[in-house]
Amino acid sequence: MEERTNQGWAVEIEQLVKKFGSFTAVDHISLKVKRGEIFGFLGPNGAGKSTTIRMLCGILTPTSGNGKVGGFDIYRESEKIKQNIGYMSQKFSLYEDLRVEENLDFYSGIYRLSKEIKGSRKEWALQMAGLKDRRSSLTSTLAGGWKQRLALGCAILHEPSILFLDEPTSGVDPLSRRRFWDLIYEMAGKGVTVFVTTHYMDEAEYCDRLALINQGRIVALGTPAELKTRYMPEAVWELETDHLIDSLQALKESQRFSEVAVFGNALHVVAKKGEDLSSFIPSILAGEGIPPKRLEQIEPSLEDVFVSLIEAEDQENGGNK
Amino acid sequence: MKLVRLKAIAWKEFIQIGRDPRSLLLAISIPVFLLLLFGYALTLDVDRIPTVIYDLDRTPRSRDLADHFLRSKYFQLQSIAPNYSHLQEMLDRGQALMGLVIPSNFSRDLELNRDATIQVLMDGTDANTATIALGYASAITLLYSQELLLQKMNRLGAGKISPPIEPRIRIWFNPDLESKNFIVPGLIAVIMAILAAILTSGTISGEWERGTMEQLISTPIRNEELILGKLIPYFAIGMLDLSLSVAMGKFLFGVPLRGNGLLLFSLASLFLLGAICQGVVVSIVTKNQLLSSQISIILSYLPTFMLSGFIYPIANMPKLIQFITYVVPGRYFVAILKGIYSKGIGLEILWIEALLLAIYASAMTFWAYHRFKKRID
Amino acid sequence: MLQRLKSMLIKEFIQVFRNPRMRLILFLPPLIQLIIFGYAANTDIRNISLATYDLDNTPESREMIERFASSGYFRIAHRVGNPQEIRRFLDEGKISAALQINDDFARQTRQRQGTAIQLIVDGTDSNTASVVMAYAQRIVAEYSRQILVERIRTLPNIPDEMKKPFFKKGGIEIQSRAFFNPNLESRNFYVPGIMAFLIMLVTLILTTMAIVREREIGTMEQLIVSPMRPIELIMGKTIPFALIGYIDVLLVTGVGVFWFEVPIRGSLPLLLFATTLYLLSTLGIGLFISTISRTQQQAMMTMFFFFIPAILLSGFVFPIANMPEVVQYLSYADPLRYFLIIIRGIFLKGNGFRILWPQMLALTVLGTIVFTFSSLRFKKRLE
Repeated sequence: MEERTNQGWAVEIEQLVKKFGSFTAVDHISLKVKRGEIFGFLGPNGAGKSTTIRMLCGILTPTSGNGKVGGFDIYRESEKIKQNIGYMSQKFSLYEDLRVEENLDFYSGIYRLSKEIKGSRKEWALQMAGLKDRRSSLTSTLAGGWKQRLALGCAILHEPSILFLDEPTSGVDPLSRRRFWDLIYEMAGKGVTVFVTTHYMDEAEYCDRLALINQGRIVALGTPAELKTRYMPEAVWELETDHLIDSLQALKESQRFSEVAVFGNALHVVAKKGEDLSSFIPSILAGEGIPPKRLEQIEPSLEDVFVSLIEAEDQENGGNK
Repeated sequence: MKLVRLKAIAWKEFIQIGRDPRSLLLAISIPVFLLLLFGYALTLDVDRIPTVIYDLDRTPRSRDLADHFLRSKYFQLQSIAPNYSHLQEMLDRGQALMGLVIPSNFSRDLELNRDATIQVLMDGTDANTATIALGYASAITLLYSQELLLQKMNRLGAGKISPPIEPRIRIWFNPDLESKNFIVPGLIAVIMAILAAILTSGTISGEWERGTMEQLISTPIRNEELILGKLIPYFAIGMLDLSLSVAMGKFLFGVPLRGNGLLLFSLASLFLLGAICQGVVVSIVTKNQLLSSQISIILSYLPTFMLSGFIYPIANMPKLIQFITYVVPGRYFVAILKGIYSKGIGLEILWIEALLLAIYASAMTFWAYHRFKKRID
Repeated sequence: MLQRLKSMLIKEFIQVFRNPRMRLILFLPPLIQLIIFGYAANTDIRNISLATYDLDNTPESREMIERFASSGYFRIAHRVGNPQEIRRFLDEGKISAALQINDDFARQTRQRQGTAIQLIVDGTDSNTASVVMAYAQRIVAEYSRQILVERIRTLPNIPDEMKKPFFKKGGIEIQSRAFFNPNLESRNFYVPGIMAFLIMLVTLILTTMAIVREREIGTMEQLIVSPMRPIELIMGKTIPFALIGYIDVLLVTGVGVFWFEVPIRGSLPLLLFATTLYLLSTLGIGLFISTISRTQQQAMMTMFFFFIPAILLSGFVFPIANMPEVVQYLSYADPLRYFLIIIRGIFLKGNGFRILWPQMLALTVLGTIVFTFSSLRFKKRLE
């Protein structure tokens, strides 16, 4: 397997654009991914995540912009890129009418695994996916979580240094999701760069760095911690009361907060940074006769960050829509 | 081109075909079926035409004439009409295709040495049958009237005379005029074309629809490996069907293969290659199974069945259509098949057709290779 | 119920008609096939390429050849000088027949025993060969009889009538009339028939694929769990294609009548009514195939398995009367057979219900059985 250089960035893109007709799916995205990093690409459906990944894998031609994967240019050297990456598409892309091991054998052939390591890699993949005693089952009979791990196995048989995973955990049960991320950590530990897209906010916490993407543009870029502090334009307060819905109503009516939402059995109130609400909120509630049981500022979740950023953007673009 | 990758694709395709026994079964039974149908059931030969006779004369002479018609294998008596409307009704209902009307003054005219006229009324709906039936009727009538003349001349003292001119007909290449001897060879072309279309039309578009193609194009696989790998199993099936058809032709129908069997197989494989690649191209371009199946079918059966000279002689078509047939590969394949089977000719005469088939095969293969892009757009 | 049906119909229509490629597929193939069948499907045997080898070279032998040339059936392609050329041209397929006239032809015709001319026919295509033989016999017999008539006139004691113009031809003449298709145009036979062929093709493919496709993609499940009743699902999946069937009928009729000048002597409403009966069968078959196919590829192959014999045994190209008895019985189960009779009856013969009711009855019975059976099966599959 060729690699242009062991140093340098795993992925570099600059002002990447993809237009489908008049619709701009990816709108001037730039970012750099370090080797061995777990890089997350987070955003709602239709934000441009899959489109970006496809361009990075060399299977979709960008409209404009530059990019390099593993040091190879995404326009001119896409075939070299394909030799060095693993890709797991959103649909898992397994052959349903092939058996588990037939799928593995197929991809071993495609990646030209040598006879010596073919066997051991296959066993490793079966072990990793937990399918050792189901190697002869038809792939169509597997449930979601198993298919997911099998698809991952097929994608990394050739031990690529860069792995692109497009929504690898969509439609998979939480336990399997957790197991999956354990696998990703294992690989990252061995130096594999993992570029993963997801719309599960909780998974984003697992990444080394994140890019938040909305409507084709990057809204925020950094580590999860950075996103929660530096990027978060607002503060989040958590409030517990006995009359949650009434409190919700009252706080909303005051129109002093950008967002009030139920979170489990508490409320999350999003307000401007620096504002001290420790007395303000109770004063509103007092008007309803509701005593607050607990009120404190908390670290925002990534979901909070994201929603805030998006809403800020929408407000900005409000006139342009 | 790396053999390992090629093998992986080909093997996968084989597995998939094997896992779907119905496709395999259909792939084999369609040729068998077609051969049986065309060999036993279907013919354009015109004979046993249901005929109604309306004899207004009712003399020995008129009955003799009617006899001459019915004795030939071409006409079969359906009924004797008691009146004209019965005859009309039979034609209307389609129960008779021809009505022979012998007027009341028929034998009297003959006695009086006048030209006698009979009427032949045909159902013209099926123009082919009608034209041919009319031709047979004319021939029979002419021969009969010549016979009468000779009898007359004999009575007039000229003695026994033979007809001045008689045709002595020799039939070459297919002496017994077995229609299957010409149908079966041409049918092979139709079978291969249809089969290639059905087998391949979904192969690439299906993978796109199921999402596995997206995965494939992200791997180092190359165009030629992918296409060739997909070709191989279908080609194998096609050759299997070819052998089956030839075997059936020989052992079941007794169609003699006068020419070189090896030549037949090699040229057939060229056609097969072209037809398969054509199906692959359609699959690549449409990316949609529904569309590719429709387009493939039309592009395969229509030209091969209608425009190749299989059933309808090209010489009878309007000039414009004849020009179009020059780009129908089936035309050349049918010519080759008929030539090798019936006439026993070889490359020295068929080299043009062979060359054109080779061009077809390479052009299609090249097109498939080029048109396939390892990209989504 | 009507509401759900309506939404389903709208969805199907959108899916079918919004896709530009689909629109093309719906209307282009019928047109192309119409044109090809209208112009290419022609088994009229004319312009048979003939080689002549005249060793006599007398006015009589030239007259013989001239009669072949002006018959309208033959075309003198080559005048050869030696027998090897005949062999070669036959091998190369440049001629279909060869006429050889011996060197004492003219003299022999005046003799008592007469003479013969040689006709070599390429038997590869036996259909053409039989017809070639019949035409040749006719041409030869005509000339031969002509010679006889002239000879009779030279006899000493012929009756007076024979000297009169009434005895010009010396025998029996045929006056022929072709009903329903006076000019014996092949296309009048094929073009209306295409309608039956097209409708079956289109409705079969679309119905089968539409259902199987939804199943493959997974949206079928969505429909199953909705309150939609099976009958609504079936109607939703078949009515759009039935409509396309009707459009095709009108399209073919339009092109046939206005472009190809095929006459339509019967009633168009009757045709549309018969189309409805026909559609019962075709849609029913499509429905059935969809219940036994898991993938689109399978569906297509199965569809072909039904379609090919249905076409071939229907009388569309090959006359049913010429088939072996057993096979003729098989064709009774073929809806296309009845529809073809109806179509040709309405277009060319001006037949009405009085004559066509047996076929319509057959279609009704066949269609009801097929459609009911398939619907039941479809319903069962859903559960």
